[in-house]
Amino acid sequence: MSLRSYVIARVLLTIPMLLLLLTLVFLITRVLPGDPVLLHFEKQAKPEAVEEFRQRLGLDKSLPEQYVDYLTGVLRGDLGKSMQDFSPVAQQIFSAFPATLELAIFGMIIAVVLGIFLGVRSSRSYNTGEDHVIRTFGIATYAIPVFFLGMVLQLVFSIQLHWFPSGGRIYPGSEPLGLNLGGFHLATGLYTVDSLLEGNLSKFVQALRYLFLPSFALGLVLCGIFIRLTRTSMLETLRLDFVTAARARGLKERTVVYTYALRNAFLPILTMMGLQFAALLAGAILTETTFSWPGLGRYLVDRIAFRDYTAIQGAVVFFGLLVALVSLMVDILYAYLDPRIRL
Amino acid sequence: MSNKAITRVQTAVVLVIIIAAVAAGAYITSQPSAPPTTTTTTGPPPIVFKDTLIMGTTDAVEVSLDPAESYDYFGWEIIQSTGSSLVDVRPGSPAGPSDIVPALATSWEVSSDGLTWTFNLRQGVKFQDGTEFTANDVKYSFDRNVFKLAIPEGPQVGIGYGDIIKSVDAMSPTQVVFHLNIPFSPFLSLMAAQSSYIVNPKLAPEDHAVAYKEGDARASSPMDLGPYVLSSWVRVAGKDNEMRLDANPNYWNVSGGYPKTPHIIIKFYSDATTLRLAIESGEVDIAFRQLRASDINDLKTKTNVKVWEGIGAFIQYLVFQEKMKPLDNPEIRRAIAAAVDRPTLTNTVFLGQSKPLYSMIPNGMAGHTDAFKQLGDANYAFTREALAKYGYNENNKLKLDLWYESSGHYPQSPDQATVLKSSLEGSGVIQIELKSADWPSYRVNRNQEIMQMYILGWYPDYVDADNYMFPFLHSVGGSWIHMNYNNPQMDDLINQARAKTDAAERTQLYAQAQELFAQDAPIVPLFQGTAWAVTKPNVGGVVLDISQSWRHWLVYATEGPAPLLQIGWLASIITRFATEQ
Amino acid sequence: MQTERGRIIVQLIPQFVRLSKRGMAGWTVLIGSVIVVAVVGMTLLAPWIAPHNPIAINVGPIMAAPSSEFPLGTNHLGQDMLSRVIWGGSMVLQVALISVAMCVAVGVPIGLLASYAGGNTDKGTSLVMDSIYAFPGLVLAIAIAAMLGRGVLNMSLAIAVVYVPSYYRIVRSQVLTIKELSYVEAARALGAKSRSIILRYVMPNVVPSVVSVATINFADAILTAAGLTFVGLGLSVAVPDWGWDLTYGRQLLPAGAWWVIAFPGLMIVLLALGFTLIGEGLSELWSPRLEQ
Repeated sequence: MSLRSYVIARVLLTIPMLLLLLTLVFLITRVLPGDPVLLHFEKQAKPEAVEEFRQRLGLDKSLPEQYVDYLTGVLRGDLGKSMQDFSPVAQQIFSAFPATLELAIFGMIIAVVLGIFLGVRSSRSYNTGEDHVIRTFGIATYAIPVFFLGMVLQLVFSIQLHWFPSGGRIYPGSEPLGLNLGGFHLATGLYTVDSLLEGNLSKFVQALRYLFLPSFALGLVLCGIFIRLTRTSMLETLRLDFVTAARARGLKERTVVYTYALRNAFLPILTMMGLQFAALLAGAILTETTFSWPGLGRYLVDRIAFRDYTAIQGAVVFFGLLVALVSLMVDILYAYLDPRIRL
Repeated sequence: MSNKAITRVQTAVVLVIIIAAVAAGAYITSQPSAPPTTTTTTGPPPIVFKDTLIMGTTDAVEVSLDPAESYDYFGWEIIQSTGSSLVDVRPGSPAGPSDIVPALATSWEVSSDGLTWTFNLRQGVKFQDGTEFTANDVKYSFDRNVFKLAIPEGPQVGIGYGDIIKSVDAMSPTQVVFHLNIPFSPFLSLMAAQSSYIVNPKLAPEDHAVAYKEGDARASSPMDLGPYVLSSWVRVAGKDNEMRLDANPNYWNVSGGYPKTPHIIIKFYSDATTLRLAIESGEVDIAFRQLRASDINDLKTKTNVKVWEGIGAFIQYLVFQEKMKPLDNPEIRRAIAAAVDRPTLTNTVFLGQSKPLYSMIPNGMAGHTDAFKQLGDANYAFTREALAKYGYNENNKLKLDLWYESSGHYPQSPDQATVLKSSLEGSGVIQIELKSADWPSYRVNRNQEIMQMYILGWYPDYVDADNYMFPFLHSVGGSWIHMNYNNPQMDDLINQARAKTDAAERTQLYAQAQELFAQDAPIVPLFQGTAWAVTKPNVGGVVLDISQSWRHWLVYATEGPAPLLQIGWLASIITRFATEQ
Repeated sequence: MQTERGRIIVQLIPQFVRLSKRGMAGWTVLIGSVIVVAVVGMTLLAPWIAPHNPIAINVGPIMAAPSSEFPLGTNHLGQDMLSRVIWGGSMVLQVALISVAMCVAVGVPIGLLASYAGGNTDKGTSLVMDSIYAFPGLVLAIAIAAMLGRGVLNMSLAIAVVYVPSYYRIVRSQVLTIKELSYVEAARALGAKSRSIILRYVMPNVVPSVVSVATINFADAILTAAGLTFVGLGLSVAVPDWGWDLTYGRQLLPAGAWWVIAFPGLMIVLLALGFTLIGEGLSELWSPRLEQ
């Protein structure tokens, strides 16, 4: 089928899934052992105050009504009001999101780069000690809790060696300001990008320094699967006839490896990146706490401590929607690049 | 070498270069540029005061910066630095009646029956927009906060302002009168509390509290008249991220040289560990609240930071739910109280940085007596004997639930609970089950009276023994604790002490009340927390007194001029000398 | 999906296995099993081999480095880390065991029945399962655990919900393959009841993959349990627990007390690694058989 029909079909499939996802979250956050509203009053709650609180959050309506409000809210981009100060959850989430995005991007970059590098090495020294070591390494890193790894990195490279800062996104007071031309202002919230837009190289380097340890922890834990993927893909391609032919023609080994074999691995790696996005977000939640990274993960953890149910619900919905969106994009990209799967 | 080996070597070399570059870059860029300083041009560059100080804290604004609503430590800290009250407590003093100093009021007097207070106001004080401060602003503040808004969780209701104050009248632009319902002895101390701070009527609407407004610090706080203005308040994802305080040119005490540091940046950290790392790495100049005891001790050994200690007026205590048998029996309560081991608690959990407390009133405050010393610490003989009378022994232990909050609201709560459990079980006749809840749930549990024994903490609203007795042991004042303790004799003693003005008489009454307190043992006082701050060595002006206030306007940091500047000056002198030959 | 790549993989796997993978896979399973048995054994024998009471405070100096008296050091309350490490696996193992049991008890029957039934039941269930599967696991577990509160059962339930779809999918793919096999069709034609078909033909073939998934699930459950503890949804502090020591020990790192997180962390890694190795090894050992 054509790309267009595939995209349409895929998008149509996503809709019931999203609906299910939203319903799932709604159900979870309504299966409560106690009354969430009562959890937010210091003194003996006056019934009128409790009622007012309930009304402000829309929790006084019947369950079906709440469900409809919730769904229409999501469509509008309204994820409810925080139970702590009634400010819009969606706004809070969007302000925390760029930090997590930046961490996720760099974590993924490190995971893929490490994965490809080690995967290639592993495939080329097939079945030797190096191969086994690398494969075990890939499995072992997955078994490490990412926050433990983060702590170890922090201890060694930050506390003992002082090579990297131990937490935060940048030195207090030096947040990158983004592009500022005349009245036009553009800031992405990604400190690396914003510092370049601002033209401030020292801020850029600082942003990278703060970014390195947390994204390295994330990347290391996730690289295992990319190692395996690259290795398998390389191994099978390197055995194919056209590769043997290329070698026979005298092409340099490096050309053979990188131009032919690796290119073949590209698509599965791309798909895997999309699939691993969910794992990446989960890892980010844990890493952000260790490194005081002010992103969505830490937001969720803080909201848990305060039993801010609307915020928890909002964050969980956001995560789900994000993952669904990314996997949709990856599927479409894959279909564009490889017509075979549209069948 | 074979092809394989060559590529391997190449890869290794590349890797080494990359690592070296990163490490080098890390080292080179590890020192951020110094903030701007002011210097003079004659003579050798003098020692100067830093223009900007950065403070790190794990606190955050709990609700807002409106004194009608704010009832948390950090909210009060900012209100105090951006606003003013009629009177103040002299920094560094024991905050007794003789330690009240003028602020917006220059003098005051009280009628003989103690029901009428008259304050004469300072003249020529201006709000930020140039409007003159008058008595009407005082009246407005109290009418609004106490009577009109009367926010249920706010301090005015919690302390009972409405029970104390009948009305506030502006007699003239410079004189304001308070008519009281009862002769409240600590009234002046109450006027120094942040809940009595004066708001700017133009910024404080009558019908609702002022809330955080994104991007507009001016609209986020009704405070004016203080040493600083809140120039920036940034929240990211609902959490306080950064605040900036800039010197207020209209501050009434600018002539006194305050504030000492023109700009303060406050950075919010999510936990003690990251705050500790921040002060150690020099990312912040000051770290205040809350660092772990072990980190404080560790930092005391480091030469790149200075540790300041003070008296804490923060107390923690154990509450008995008298609705649940057998805790309705004072003898059993006393038996349990005797098994508590305060020295182990303070030494193990706080490494000796907090002090055992044997009274509701903290050490160092007028009215304190070590009433609970009579029960002792880990006094297991007493415990066993007392409990044996009710049939509890090694084979029939008294089983109790001990609750603690688990979301970091108090310092090291899980540790405290573990140690308490160990102490109580050390008697051999008590068995403790630990239960925990995050702070919001913990509060609900307290209000619903479902926790058998629970640990709570307290910072003073105003520095007076009354604030440590009335909110706990008085049947009305202590109703928020929900422990169902009610002793008319205690009520009477506390009411009397509130109304008396003679310090000796009050001390007598409190001594009696605390003796009764030790007999009834509705609460077991545990410890009194020490306040400490960690700063860079060049920071001064840190006062950690019993008022528990962090006074931003007193703090400063000295800075020798940059070495290059010194060398440059020296070089210029030498060349001048040389060329003048 | 008979694409070029698919055919290649199918061809190559037996090659891999024949070459030396069988040996390698065997070793993997063996090492993994040894690790798991050792750790589980240590936890079961805790009451007899732990030198001190793991929750007794002040058995040693506060935050003392590893020494001959306290081989793994002590923590901020003077508790012996060696005893805490020996006892600490109990909670994690319980949670993992219960959640895997729940998963298998729920996911496998649903998978069997829904995919065997086919049609709309199959489509509907698949849709629900895919939605859950697509969700970032930890986030879902956090949401559920936050709502349910503390407790071994609640934590296990939170983790179980996240992994049920994995079992469903693997069972379903097996069932779909087997459904089409000629001898199964023959049995159906001869009038055999669905139940007996499922029991006699489908289940035996499903078991190996379920076991593989279960072992990996075990590893994931351990890591997720640790993660939940880390974000504050863990169990009471009175129980010695690796996850708790990891979480709390982090606060002692800047003061240099690395041993409080190092050893519990290592144990979690070892246990997760052990199960992962078993799972990986098993799936490699068994996969060629299934492909035939």
